[in-house]
Amino acid sequence: MTRDRVLPAALGLGTFTAFILAAEALIRLGFVNRFIVPLPSQVAGAFARVVAEEHVVARFFMTAGEALVAGLLLTAVGISLGALLYRVALLRAACETWIAAMASAPIVLMYPLFLVIFGRSAWTIIMIGFMAGLPPVILKTIEGFAGTRQVLVNVGRSFNLTRGQQFVKILFPAALPTIFVGLRLGLIFALINIVGVEFLINFGGLGQLINDLAERYDLPGTYVAICFVILVSVVFFEVTGRIERWLRPAE
Amino acid sequence: MAATGGIGRAVSGPALAHPVTLVRIAIVAALLLAWEALSQSGWLFRDVVPSLWKIGGALGDLLSSRDYWWHLGWTGFEVGAALLIGGLSGLLAGLVLGGSRFLGRAFEPFLYYLGPTPKIIFFPVMIMWFGVGPGSKIALGAISCFFPVVLSTAAGIRQIDLVLIRVGRSFRANAWQMALKVYLPAMRHPVINGLRLGLGIAIIGTLLAETKLSSRGIGFMIIQAYATFAMPRMYALLITLFVLAIGANALVGRLGGVGKRA
Amino acid sequence: MIANAAGKLPTVAPQTSESRALRAEGITKHYTTSEGTITAVDSVSLDVAPGEFLAVIGPSGCGKSTLFNIIGGLVDGYEGRVSVAGETVAGPHASIGMVFQEESTFPWRTVVENVAFPLEIARVSRAERLERARHFISLVGLEGFERRYPAELSGGMRQRVAIARTLAFEPKILLMDEPFAALDEQTRLLLGDKVLQIQQQLKQTTLLITHNITEAVQLADRILVMTYRPGRVKRFVKIDLPRPRSSEIVSSEAFGRYVAKIWSDLREEASRGMQDEETCKRQSGGDGA
Repeated sequence: MTRDRVLPAALGLGTFTAFILAAEALIRLGFVNRFIVPLPSQVAGAFARVVAEEHVVARFFMTAGEALVAGLLLTAVGISLGALLYRVALLRAACETWIAAMASAPIVLMYPLFLVIFGRSAWTIIMIGFMAGLPPVILKTIEGFAGTRQVLVNVGRSFNLTRGQQFVKILFPAALPTIFVGLRLGLIFALINIVGVEFLINFGGLGQLINDLAERYDLPGTYVAICFVILVSVVFFEVTGRIERWLRPAE
Repeated sequence: MAATGGIGRAVSGPALAHPVTLVRIAIVAALLLAWEALSQSGWLFRDVVPSLWKIGGALGDLLSSRDYWWHLGWTGFEVGAALLIGGLSGLLAGLVLGGSRFLGRAFEPFLYYLGPTPKIIFFPVMIMWFGVGPGSKIALGAISCFFPVVLSTAAGIRQIDLVLIRVGRSFRANAWQMALKVYLPAMRHPVINGLRLGLGIAIIGTLLAETKLSSRGIGFMIIQAYATFAMPRMYALLITLFVLAIGANALVGRLGGVGKRA
Repeated sequence: MIANAAGKLPTVAPQTSESRALRAEGITKHYTTSEGTITAVDSVSLDVAPGEFLAVIGPSGCGKSTLFNIIGGLVDGYEGRVSVAGETVAGPHASIGMVFQEESTFPWRTVVENVAFPLEIARVSRAERLERARHFISLVGLEGFERRYPAELSGGMRQRVAIARTLAFEPKILLMDEPFAALDEQTRLLLGDKVLQIQQQLKQTTLLITHNITEAVQLADRILVMTYRPGRVKRFVKIDLPRPRSSEIVSSEAFGRYVAKIWSDLREEASRGMQDEETCKRQSGGDGA
């Protein structure tokens, strides 16, 4: 069992390390231009400098704050809209395909529009994140409520629950795992777009850092900043993934 | 609950399809009216909410200008190239990773974690590698497109119902027949779905790159409209872009027969 | 090993060796899991005469499906020998057609395309394979559904498609693994009639794996009762009920006697299986907590 997992992981990490070493060697030997690709060792050396000089912690909290606000908006607006559409079947029949289509639209490209409305401020970033994350939250909320097993609803009725009780005691708990799946997807979309817009409009947290360093032509620094963003995404992805698994009942 | 089911059924019947259509028309009409009222009221900063007539006019100007089609051609070329490169390499990598449990376990975690990072952050690196021209946009689009395709192809191989493979073998199909008549059709839904996601995300990657640094393409036109504060033109551009993106998405889905649920 | 297995064999006198359509001798299969080696099947030997209908019955976990996959040539790494008319089987054999327990129609093919699949693999021309597919579709009573997709059919109809598909392979031996397991009791009885009717019509040598006593007695000439883990031969029972049979036979007195007899054999094994499962669940529950 353990060997099944350890060997592939070792191969993966080994390949990764070999790749880094090969890059280092190729650049040192002059096969790759070091003004286009910095030495991996140089990038590693730049970590401490970037953390100290570029306020990485403060930037991280800025990005996290934007994501948090977008997430709160998503939770409040997305779940309420989902519940509303579930309740009013006619509205759902009319709008569900539209929302699904919105999910495939390049919403983030509206950022110049939001720049005009909100200026170069955190609100532009937050609103783009919110808009980009909204469709999955709404769709999964509807799916969660609609997917509640009829027998559970009937159990509730057999105990003479009121509509309110029915919602709080049966529908909502039954739908919660699916709703969280949507919320997690929404948050991931929001985070991707928040960092992206930070980079594009050169404002805010970690995304701006990349833009800053690239414009200063600080190559190792740019790579370090990219590593930070990847790290933050991975941690976020993993943590929310754990919560999702924890919420899902054992099958 | 019973009422919900009743309406749901009525909706699918052709005779009673009317209520939904009516609601849709009502929603669209209400939105357009509210927009026009807001525009006329002058509550918001001038031109943030331009009159519908102005947007319509800008849309007409845009579609009749040769400039627009030239930029659209460039964007189309970049997105197409990105889809070709990213999709094909994603498909191949997905087949390898999905086919071998060992290789999948070794390399998929990396892809799985890189998947949900914003790809636009690689743009500065792409500029250094491929220059400021279409090359860096294609590269960014291709990177964006690669991830959903590789992950869904790998998952697509793994979700194949094992009994179908046993059926194929029990009828003594050879390796080629197995690939063509069992594996490929059995995984078409996830692969098409991956390509759909990949296309959408390649469009986003390419256009965002165009807005950041370029001299051609729809992304460039959008950011230019912003710079010259030509709001009706920006709305017109966004409308055409959304129509194209949603249409392309639906088209790929239709091609894969995703509607014909198995 | 073989001698030992052969010694257990004859409750019923076997046919002369030339007339055996299918023969399995001393089949033993071990599986390695994280908790050690499990013997799924232990020295099982059986013979099926041409045109005979043999049912293999046993509780869940007696290795019936393993036996099915071994005879079908889909599993290797076992001890013993499987032969068709004296020829040793290695890999899927042209004379053996398999019907699987799980949903096994290709969802992307219409009914007629599904049934024509084995002919397509054998490179039969398009016109001919469609014609032959139609014949087998009508044999299972699905005329008019040729252009439908499996998703548009009921579970029982889909299983009939799977059976027609295997029949289109024109196997000398039909091998079925609980083909009716996913169906309700009425459909099961009626489909059993259909299978029996086709089997008589084609004089098809048939091996049916099942855990359903009624089904086994309704259909088979002979029943092999297996023990719970490891799966061994417990007994062969000859079913002397008149042919042609139909599902009406389930209400006859003779039928009831056979069912009672087999149940008394099976009860012991099934309850052993149940106890085993409970201990398993307790242990894994304890580990998890």
